[in-house]
Amino acid sequence: MLRFVLRRSAQAVLVVVAATFLIFLATFALGDPFASTGEKVVPPAIAAANRAKFGLDQPLVVQFGTYLANTARLDFGIDFDQGRPVSQMLAETVPNTVRLALVAIVIDVLIGVTAGVIAAVRRYSVWDVVVTVLSTVGIGVPTFVIGIVLVVNVAGWGPFPAVPRGFAVEVPWYQEVLLPALTLAAVDAAFVARLMRGSLLEVLRADYVRTARAKGLPERTVIGRHALRNALIPVVTYAGVSLGVLFGGAIITETIFQYNGVGYLLSRAIVNSNAPVVIAVVVFSVVAYVFLSLLVDILYAVLDPRIRLS
Amino acid sequence: MRRSSAVGSAVALTAAVTLVLAGCTQRSNQDVPAGADGAATTAAEYPETPDQPRVPGRPGGTFRLGIVEPTAIDPYNAQESEGILVTKALFTGLVNVRPNGEIYDGVASAWTPNADCSQWTFTLKPGTTFSNGEPVDSAAFKRGWERTAARDSGSAVSYHLNEVAGFDQMQDGSAAALSGVDAADPNTLRVALSAPDCEFALRTAAPPLSPVPTVAGPAGNTAYNDLPIGNGPFTMDGPWRHDTGIRLVRNDTYGAGPKANLDAVELTITPPDTGALTEYNGFNNGQFDWARMPVPVQAQARAANEPKNQWISKKTAGINYLQVQVQQPPLNSVAARKAISMAIDRNAIAQGVFQGSQVPATAFLPASFTGAFQDGVCDACRFDPVKAKELAAQAGLTAGTRVAFQFNSGSNHDEWTAAVKQQLERNLGIAVDLTGVPFRDLLTNQRQPTATGLFRAGWSADYPTPSNFLASLLTTKAIGAATPDDVANGDNRGRYSNPVFDELVARAVATPDVAARNDLYKQAEKIAIGDDLGVIPLVARQQFRLVNTTTFGNVNMDFWENPTLPEITLR
Repeated sequence: MLRFVLRRSAQAVLVVVAATFLIFLATFALGDPFASTGEKVVPPAIAAANRAKFGLDQPLVVQFGTYLANTARLDFGIDFDQGRPVSQMLAETVPNTVRLALVAIVIDVLIGVTAGVIAAVRRYSVWDVVVTVLSTVGIGVPTFVIGIVLVVNVAGWGPFPAVPRGFAVEVPWYQEVLLPALTLAAVDAAFVARLMRGSLLEVLRADYVRTARAKGLPERTVIGRHALRNALIPVVTYAGVSLGVLFGGAIITETIFQYNGVGYLLSRAIVNSNAPVVIAVVVFSVVAYVFLSLLVDILYAVLDPRIRLS
Repeated sequence: MRRSSAVGSAVALTAAVTLVLAGCTQRSNQDVPAGADGAATTAAEYPETPDQPRVPGRPGGTFRLGIVEPTAIDPYNAQESEGILVTKALFTGLVNVRPNGEIYDGVASAWTPNADCSQWTFTLKPGTTFSNGEPVDSAAFKRGWERTAARDSGSAVSYHLNEVAGFDQMQDGSAAALSGVDAADPNTLRVALSAPDCEFALRTAAPPLSPVPTVAGPAGNTAYNDLPIGNGPFTMDGPWRHDTGIRLVRNDTYGAGPKANLDAVELTITPPDTGALTEYNGFNNGQFDWARMPVPVQAQARAANEPKNQWISKKTAGINYLQVQVQQPPLNSVAARKAISMAIDRNAIAQGVFQGSQVPATAFLPASFTGAFQDGVCDACRFDPVKAKELAAQAGLTAGTRVAFQFNSGSNHDEWTAAVKQQLERNLGIAVDLTGVPFRDLLTNQRQPTATGLFRAGWSADYPTPSNFLASLLTTKAIGAATPDDVANGDNRGRYSNPVFDELVARAVATPDVAARNDLYKQAEKIAIGDDLGVIPLVARQQFRLVNTTTFGNVNMDFWENPTLPEITLR
């Protein structure tokens, strides 16, 4: 077991380093960030001084080595525009994103599982049709459409804060997180509902469920105790991976709601060609995703010894 | 020039463009000379609104607006209009300027050049202080200017000081002080220039020439960068909350002019790419009192707000134009450039793409420079496809000629550049190679000695003077290349060069009398634009804002296209 964990961890580190190198290469190709300001050319002497300040006068390999070494110490450098520590920018935005991701996952699993179970248990009933149709629509409508519709029609009404909102208007986090979380949950919940319905139907056909029924157990116990447990496995897997994606920042949703998470941070950094921030956020997303996948893998291995051996 | 962070909203203008293109196609199908109707149409532009009348008003109130995150609010590196908005509120320089170039007093009560304008003497108002109590004396200005000019500061806007003697030595690191600035007398600032400039006083209104207190320290002092202490009508209410907002409060110890009326100004940081849309939405949902808006909603916003007197429309000191590589074929002849210019139907573009909100240019200088503006000095800005065709034949622009045309992608230039390409191809029969590239690549490409053809260009003036267009964009010195084979480091990247023009501009800059100076500027523009067409003017810059005039009075637009914060009152 320990060997399995070590092997997977080593792979994870490799993935992170490789991904870091790729994004580093991509931003390096963007060219000299200090050559111009607005439409004006910065005097070569000043541009050179600025490049030297950021180590951009070094060869790519040296820059990358320095970056990795600094990153290992959680130092992501300073941003091009204002010289702020990037780690501080991450520290300000990551908690918001994590909060949003957790709320979204909770909403998403609650709605998805409930709808999926109802649809499976009352197969071919009106409820099933409603869930199937709604989930198809949910999967089909892009996140940004849901987000914009909510911003235009719902934001600023009742408990939902306005978008945009004057920064001096204080709003508790649970109110601020509601609409973006609903937006993120909409697509995922639809997917979870379909997953749940399918997997529950499959399990309900299994022999042990028939046995349970034959023993005369009430239907609630059959489904709640016996069937649901097994049927939940794919849902848990999906939710785990989904959480990994959300931790990396929901770029579109956070940007639409101007929610101060890493996704919004990334979208702003891309617009401003602020490479140190772009690299740091991407590295953070990769780490979050790889770490959660690793956790899921290890959990699997704990649950099912066959995976360990292969 | 100021960085225009108003890259516009991400909202596509596809519908509008389709209209223009469809219109063009239709016309060419009808076999009618396209000029016939195009030349006849007059642009139904959005008229300028008069300044808000002065009302007595009363003090108080919090004025709220959205801005994108500035690069800096510390004067040494304040550059785009958002950064200037904050620094102008926090700092008062030697003088202030109005959009038409009129100068009025700031910290200085008098500003006088010597006979040949190579030495300037600024008399400071005695006894004014920074908000921490430090005196605002001539040393405070010297300190601020040296902080901007020092090489280690890495300021992107130190060029505002490039006329001051000793600037070059500070930029290359060989000097630690500006030799041209004399602060021996605390109430008098004496400035020696490396070349005469009778308009130098205008430059001192630029934020990088603000005074700073001793607590500012070097430019890298991050505590001061985020919480600048200044001498302006407002002070910071807590440090800059990056990516969130900035709150300013009235400076009750303000001494350089009348105190502000507003209690506070709240600046909420908006997304960089959809700033205008966010401001517009924020105005409509009651969060902001001042807002820009994306082009597609301008007509709607105007219809809703103009009747309520909530609409500001101003022609500002800027121009959108085509930079022409005048040293390289195929556009190295006046006939070729005029052919290109006269084949462009500016009205159709102003109407179709910009929905009538932009005005076709008839000159290179903006109309807001009332003393030097010559309506129609760009005679080739008139749409005349027949004449264009003749000139093209003369210049050897034929069916086989390929003209390169580059623009920066992602900033809403796709539509109108496509319309220009189609008009040129239809009216001249040439082939236009239109390419959108990232902005940095555009800049790199156009600086090369081998660059050819046309490049999209825009300019917003740093100071309200014609020389900020003519000297900065068209003189030989502004090419910034020692030899024709060098990369251009200046703003004249089309490499227009005419000794007669250079001489006129140099004489104008050294002419103390305003009327005589403007006259020289007029002659210079006549040569560079009227005769040589060194660049091709397209549309003049015009700006629109929505303003909450129900709550606030005296809200106008300043030279930097920002609200006149110190004058705003509650109604």
